[in-house]
Amino acid sequence: MEYIASIVLISVGAALINNFVLHYFVGICPFVGVSRRVEMAFGMGCAVTFVISIAAFLSWTFTYFVTRPGAPVTSWIWGMVNPGSEAVVDLSILNYIIYIFVIASSVQFVEMYLRKFFPALFKAFGIFLPLITTNCAILFGCLEIMKHITGASSPAEMWGLDKALVFAVSGGIGFAIAITMMAGIREELDLCDVPKPLEGAGITLLVAGIMAMAFMGFTGVDRGLEALLLK
Amino acid sequence: MDLLTTVTIAVAAGTMLVLAVAMSLVLGWANRAFHVEVDPRIDAINDALPAANCGGCGYVGCGEYAEAIVNDGADIDLCPVGGPATAADVAEIMNVDVGDAAPKRPVVHCSAEYPQRLGRHKYAGEMTCTSANLIAGVQGCIYGCLGFGDCVMACEYDAIHIVNGLAKVDYEKCIGCSACARVCPRNIITMIPFKTERVMTVACSNKDFGKDVKNVCETGCIGCKSCEKVTKGLFHLENNLPILDYDHLEADFDFGDALKKCPMESLVWVGKPSAEDIAETADEVLPDVVEADFKTTVDKTEWRG
Repeated sequence: MEYIASIVLISVGAALINNFVLHYFVGICPFVGVSRRVEMAFGMGCAVTFVISIAAFLSWTFTYFVTRPGAPVTSWIWGMVNPGSEAVVDLSILNYIIYIFVIASSVQFVEMYLRKFFPALFKAFGIFLPLITTNCAILFGCLEIMKHITGASSPAEMWGLDKALVFAVSGGIGFAIAITMMAGIREELDLCDVPKPLEGAGITLLVAGIMAMAFMGFTGVDRGLEALLLK
Repeated sequence: MDLLTTVTIAVAAGTMLVLAVAMSLVLGWANRAFHVEVDPRIDAINDALPAANCGGCGYVGCGEYAEAIVNDGADIDLCPVGGPATAADVAEIMNVDVGDAAPKRPVVHCSAEYPQRLGRHKYAGEMTCTSANLIAGVQGCIYGCLGFGDCVMACEYDAIHIVNGLAKVDYEKCIGCSACARVCPRNIITMIPFKTERVMTVACSNKDFGKDVKNVCETGCIGCKSCEKVTKGLFHLENNLPILDYDHLEADFDFGDALKKCPMESLVWVGKPSAEDIAETADEVLPDVVEADFKTTVDKTEWRG
């Protein structure tokens, strides 16, 4: 029960309470850029969710097995070179470059895949698909997973692949929810009489701010959920 | 350097190497598995374009414009950043002549000024063509120029003016942005390729039969087909209107017969005046241009109608 509770809490936390876009303000670029039509926004949300899942899987694997202090692979190599040593090899310095590497490669992969099988979606994304490469929402997801591996106070608290994936997928879903809602609002906004200086990005950022305030209403839901699940 | 540092560096380098090799293998496989056949010309044009992705050509980016050139036959000289140099490069790739892509300029397909238009009635509504076009009976001809100057308002280059109720393009100033053609509620302004400085046009948009045209206009085309006969099909009639086939129009085609045969005044030359025209009017004294007096003018609002 405790396990289910932690999984539910991680997913609700990533998707709603600490929404990537509306709580941490990462991934604003596609959030503003591709939220003009609902179908396109939904497609972007799906693409980000997909990329973030792949990136989370790969970055968890590399962080857990290679780069964290005392990771199995490095310990094994160190053990061969200098048996019986107490010191640990720490490759945390490689985390960022590996995440960028992994994200860029998976974006490239997704781009080729979309180009082959969904040319319409590929065309609709245009420049924003390559921009997922530098989408901070995805890097943020990887870094958050890293924090729960290297920053865990005890090995028991360290996130396993299951939790990392749940976190990444629900983070992506949270992004998709936010961007699709935004697109819905912006479609209605097209019919509104927006003051001239605020047209375009201005009113979009204002709406994003109001949405962020609305999402603050989720604060505290996690505690209630925890109490409910662990009763 | 102690052993730990050496091992760390070596392992780090090894990790990156393994990662790079693995990713290249995966992406290389994907590149082959998800290969999409593209016209090599698209890539070539993509390289020739400035990659500014400014959207000045009317497409979303340079890539989309390159595709449009190859697949949809878009004009090759639309790129405002690259200008003529890029157009020449693209022309070479597409194997067309740069000269084939003549600049497009708007042409008003109406030649009736106020005196020639019949059945005009007093109109007291909003002084725009868009509004007047909604109301029947502002003027007899339901196809021709209304003369309220929506096109004048749309033009940012001061290149179109209403002269005695008829829109006239100033080809010295016009840059061919087609703003006037888009705004005209009756769609009588079209963009036409100017292969020469002066171009023959059909200055009428009335699709009715001869008798109905004569009832509403003194100069409108009556659809007599004279021009079609004497030019051997360069004109062809559609909806009682001659359409000039600009694709097959030679630059030095002689329209003398057609102009003589046309019983109305529906065939007109437009464009920059020829040397003879300028010489003809050289000795005429033009009246002084009267500028608005800023002391007696309330604001910059234009008073029309």
